[in-house]
Amino acid sequence: MEDMCSGRTEETEDETVESTTTQYPMETIKQLQAEAENSGSELRKARHISSWKIGIVFAVPGALSLIFAILNDSQSLAFIGLGLTFWGALFFFVRPIRYVKSSLLDSTAMSLYSTIDRIVKDLKYKGTLASYYIPPYPKDVYLPEHLRGLKDMIVFISADRNADMPSIVEVAESKFLFENPRGICVAPPGLGLLIQFEKELRIDITRLELSELCESLPPLLLENFQLAKEIEMKTEKNQVHLKIVDSIYKNLYSREENLKSIHFLGCPLVSAMACAIAKTTGKLVKIHRDRISPDGQTIEVWCRFTEG
Amino acid sequence: MRFPLSISDISLWLAVTAVILLTASELLSSSTDVVIEKKGLRLVALALGIGFMITVIVRVFQPI
Repeated sequence: MEDMCSGRTEETEDETVESTTTQYPMETIKQLQAEAENSGSELRKARHISSWKIGIVFAVPGALSLIFAILNDSQSLAFIGLGLTFWGALFFFVRPIRYVKSSLLDSTAMSLYSTIDRIVKDLKYKGTLASYYIPPYPKDVYLPEHLRGLKDMIVFISADRNADMPSIVEVAESKFLFENPRGICVAPPGLGLLIQFEKELRIDITRLELSELCESLPPLLLENFQLAKEIEMKTEKNQVHLKIVDSIYKNLYSREENLKSIHFLGCPLVSAMACAIAKTTGKLVKIHRDRISPDGQTIEVWCRFTEG
Repeated sequence: MRFPLSISDISLWLAVTAVILLTASELLSSSTDVVIEKKGLRLVALALGIGFMITVIVRVFQPI
């Protein structure tokens, strides 16, 4: 009996030791997380307030100076007042934008490519895979209810490089897995970017000619979004050649990540451009091949049109 | 009690401020390190430039 009791007490002691050893780090982690959240919100507050504070510091003396200038009929005070009020108003108006580190962008995109890699591996697709960007029907075109799925931009990842495309009915049903031809349909990784481009630039890509798109899209992307240092978009025979220097998504192509889907889907920027080409031409667009410079700075992609 | 600045004073002030802001917005347009709304800055600079042009037109039609 004594042995049993001592055995139980040892067990309970072990449990308590174990629970205290696990509890302590858990509590510390929770405490640290709370501290990090608090310091983050304080930092955000401090950053947000700063421009307002500077604005008030300029605007209040400026307004006072203007009032005194009118009361005392002083020209120099009026100039000072005008200047201070104006700069105060400018600080209210031209506030800092919230930026995030570019490394965060590719780390958030990473999970999508890993998931597609896992799906492709699980489905045992062997050989070279190909992706086809399927252009959506324009939004203003009427389609019956059962064909509404055709208005979504999708990319078909085909298990066979030279296989046929799935039927319109299957695509309209928003199916994910296709048996004949074998493949999967997913939303393009760059679709969100393309929607953002169209929204901010206020352009409807479907109304552009391909030559117009090649001329206008790269400077717009560079000036408004700074997603790369240099973007070239050239039409060649039956294909478009994209050259992107110092893209913010360049790390996705690195050998350490070893992502396979990035080569047939393209990084979010390439994918967005492929979506734009598909929308403009109304043809299927295939990422035919890509080439990464040894230093990883330059990404070249050839997007080929194919008839659906 | 009246505002102590004449139209020519305001015109001069607008011109100087517009030049400063336009130069700043042009210099900042290529820089990625400064995190402010560059479009907003350019808009304000252009608005001031237009303001200056209006004062010039006023002075053309009503020379003092």
